Amino acid sequence: MNYKLIASAALCALMTTTSAMAQDVIGYITKSATNAGWMMINQGATDAAAEEGVKLVAVGPAFQGDLSSQLEVFENLVAQGAKAIGIAPVDSAGIAPAVNDAMSAGIPVVAIDTGVSGAAVTSFVATDNYAVAKVQGAVAATLVNDGDTIIYVTGNQAQSTGQERRNGFMEAFAAARPNSKVLEVPTEWNSQQAQEGVEAVINANADVKMVANAWDGGTMGAKAALENLGYSAGDVKLVGFDGAGDAIAAMDEGWVHADTAQMLYQMGYQGIKAAAAAARGEDVSSRIDTGFFLVTPETSGVYKKMVGIN
Amino acid sequence: MATPENSTNEKLPLQDKLISVMVRFFRTEWSGAFLAILILGISIELVTSGRPFFHPTNLMTILNNSAAIGVVAGGMTLVILTAGIDLSVGSVMGMTAALTGYVASFWGFPPSLAILTGLGLGVAVGLFNGTLVAYFGMPAFIVTLAGLSIWRGTGHLATNAQATPKLPELFDYFGRFNPFSGLRDAYKAKELDGFAATVGGFIDDNWINFFRTFQMSMIIFIIFFILLSFIVSNTKYGRYVYAIGSNAAGARQAGINTPQYTLMTYIVCSASAALGALLFLGRAPYAKSDYGQMWELDAIAAVVIGGTSLFGGRGSLWGTFMGVILLKLINNGLTLAQLDTFWQMVVTGLIILIAVGLDIVRQSRDPEAVRKLFASIGAAMAFFTLLTPASVFLRAKIALLEHEAMTQLLRAGEKLAMGQNNRLLTPNEIEKFQEAISITLVPSLLFSALCLMTILVIFKNTRAFTVIAATIMLVAIIPLFLLDYQVSVPFLILGALALFSSLSIQTVFERAKALNVA
Repeated sequence: MNYKLIASAALCALMTTTSAMAQDVIGYITKSATNAGWMMINQGATDAAAEEGVKLVAVGPAFQGDLSSQLEVFENLVAQGAKAIGIAPVDSAGIAPAVNDAMSAGIPVVAIDTGVSGAAVTSFVATDNYAVAKVQGAVAATLVNDGDTIIYVTGNQAQSTGQERRNGFMEAFAAARPNSKVLEVPTEWNSQQAQEGVEAVINANADVKMVANAWDGGTMGAKAALENLGYSAGDVKLVGFDGAGDAIAAMDEGWVHADTAQMLYQMGYQGIKAAAAAARGEDVSSRIDTGFFLVTPETSGVYKKMVGIN
Repeated sequence: MATPENSTNEKLPLQDKLISVMVRFFRTEWSGAFLAILILGISIELVTSGRPFFHPTNLMTILNNSAAIGVVAGGMTLVILTAGIDLSVGSVMGMTAALTGYVASFWGFPPSLAILTGLGLGVAVGLFNGTLVAYFGMPAFIVTLAGLSIWRGTGHLATNAQATPKLPELFDYFGRFNPFSGLRDAYKAKELDGFAATVGGFIDDNWINFFRTFQMSMIIFIIFFILLSFIVSNTKYGRYVYAIGSNAAGARQAGINTPQYTLMTYIVCSASAALGALLFLGRAPYAKSDYGQMWELDAIAAVVIGGTSLFGGRGSLWGTFMGVILLKLINNGLTLAQLDTFWQMVVTGLIILIAVGLDIVRQSRDPEAVRKLFASIGAAMAFFTLLTPASVFLRAKIALLEHEAMTQLLRAGEKLAMGQNNRLLTPNEIEKFQEAISITLVPSLLFSALCLMTILVIFKNTRAFTVIAATIMLVAIIPLFLLDYQVSVPFLILGALALFSSLSIQTVFERAKALNVA
């Protein structure tokens, strides 16, 4: 009994000292800690936190797409008194009730990369996926002739990011190449699904000229599928989305012909900057567009310098 | 399945032979999964255009992509046969894949040594899991649930969750390498003459149509299952696995060293997961520690779909083989059929239910259960026929209702979000939907009645009633043509066939008993 008392007293002392010298705690709930693109976003978040002098508590879901663990983490952060929360929801609508609770308790919430539908957030920091996907679709259309068959590898269609990218691409591509057939390979942001799907579809349709992808994990899956079937670089054109390092390397080898790069680092960086500003009570713009960069074999040098790939 | 009822005396031997073949088929554990594969394959064949679904290259693609998860599920089968479970296989696969690639890329291990490291890791994990389960008496579920987390975390930690560069060529021999490619290249370089040139030419001509997808993945996959099923059915080890699974205490009393054989089984399972990792690396763009997520669930699903009991002691490796192929076939086929993503999820679940349902009916050996199954097929077919007019009817009705609700909201002064705006209709669209409703109302009602009738047949087993329902189904083909719904004709024919054959099931069962094969 005595020991327990001493221990808890020590614990209390420890906690008060830490909280006395502690900076504001900003919660950061990421979608994935292992996906190459997400690692760039997370890096941006870490750097912004260091710059702002806030303590970043970063937590990822147990596996990609796990809503329940995100909800749990969200509630824990609110309970622990986070001053603001940056979140990349795995499910736009599913996270809404938790966001509503936090906002009504006066904790600013910044949505990063994926929006929240059904709840207001302090700020939404992301690429305008729909607009960028339209650029992707228009550029992809210039790589094939009207009437050519192409494959589009989708992202998760239960998320706004996946829906907007697909819709933007389809609209712009169909407008420029009305007689082309687009075969879809559905995925939940899983490159293994992309690989197996592309392999199956190309096997059944030898006339596919191009594979466009909703994200670069899909691009790498599609590249592996083509290699498995014995194609060489350039036989079937690849179009990516994200500007991930491995996709840009594949562009240098002649596989990828265009890639609409998101400013991934900026997304995490500006997201946490906005969260820190909101935590201090400053006004934050409700929509921060982090822009994009069209990477082609001609512009890849500029892009690589910009994001620091050598 | 429908055996002729009014067969003459000299035809009887043939009929008896058919019955005994059928009985033997349904006695095998894999028949449920096999039937589901067949049904799914035929339905995909019907809805896809272009190259047929049963084309060899497509089947080989499915086998290639089943290889990695298949080998993992093969190891899992043994564990489940001993009434155990291994939830860590997905994580072990991911960790092995990541570390094998990592030591090959960054530590300068020669590829062969890296591969041995990977397999060694698998054995070590199996030793760890198996010792805790077999010698310390910890529940397999808990040990491997902990392993699920430990090994995934270890993989991430060791490699920092970063992807490796492209792996050395030796890894291709576990995956994308094509044994015929050398011959084809030599032919194209015109290095061959005589018979070899003829063979090379044949390969080159049929490259896209056949040889392209003949790859190491599927070869290793098939050899692995042949070897493992030989071991299970022909060695002491195999017999003990079944013995431990059906009655562990009895096995111990019979003098079997159960801890030792349990430990061996966990080692085989983890080593299979490691081999699965190598097969996966042979087709993947790079090595990474997040491979194999949720594979434990897919592997367990494949084992159970293949007719192996989760309580141990009953099941077979070939059942698992069929189970894996069914799971991959669902992905492959539904993608080829370009079915909407959300429908794919629903259909995937339904197919798994069908496979397991077939297996339960098979095990029950009860003629009434089989009759109910056939009647259900009839009802499902009537339902599909109903869907053709009813889906149009419902869609139009719902669109009008949504339009109504949205106008109400607007009138109340609410602002509509972007997605909700889509639900407002133009006057032109409203007219179109109203017309669709008036056209489809009567056929929807008629086929609803037919559907209800077939559902009654499931629960009410009278000969006359079944005959009437089946006849109405056949007669209904005429209005179907008049209404321009020819697409559903096959459904009605199939449904009537199922109902008619449900009549002869009792006879077939009695005959089978008389033949003393059942």
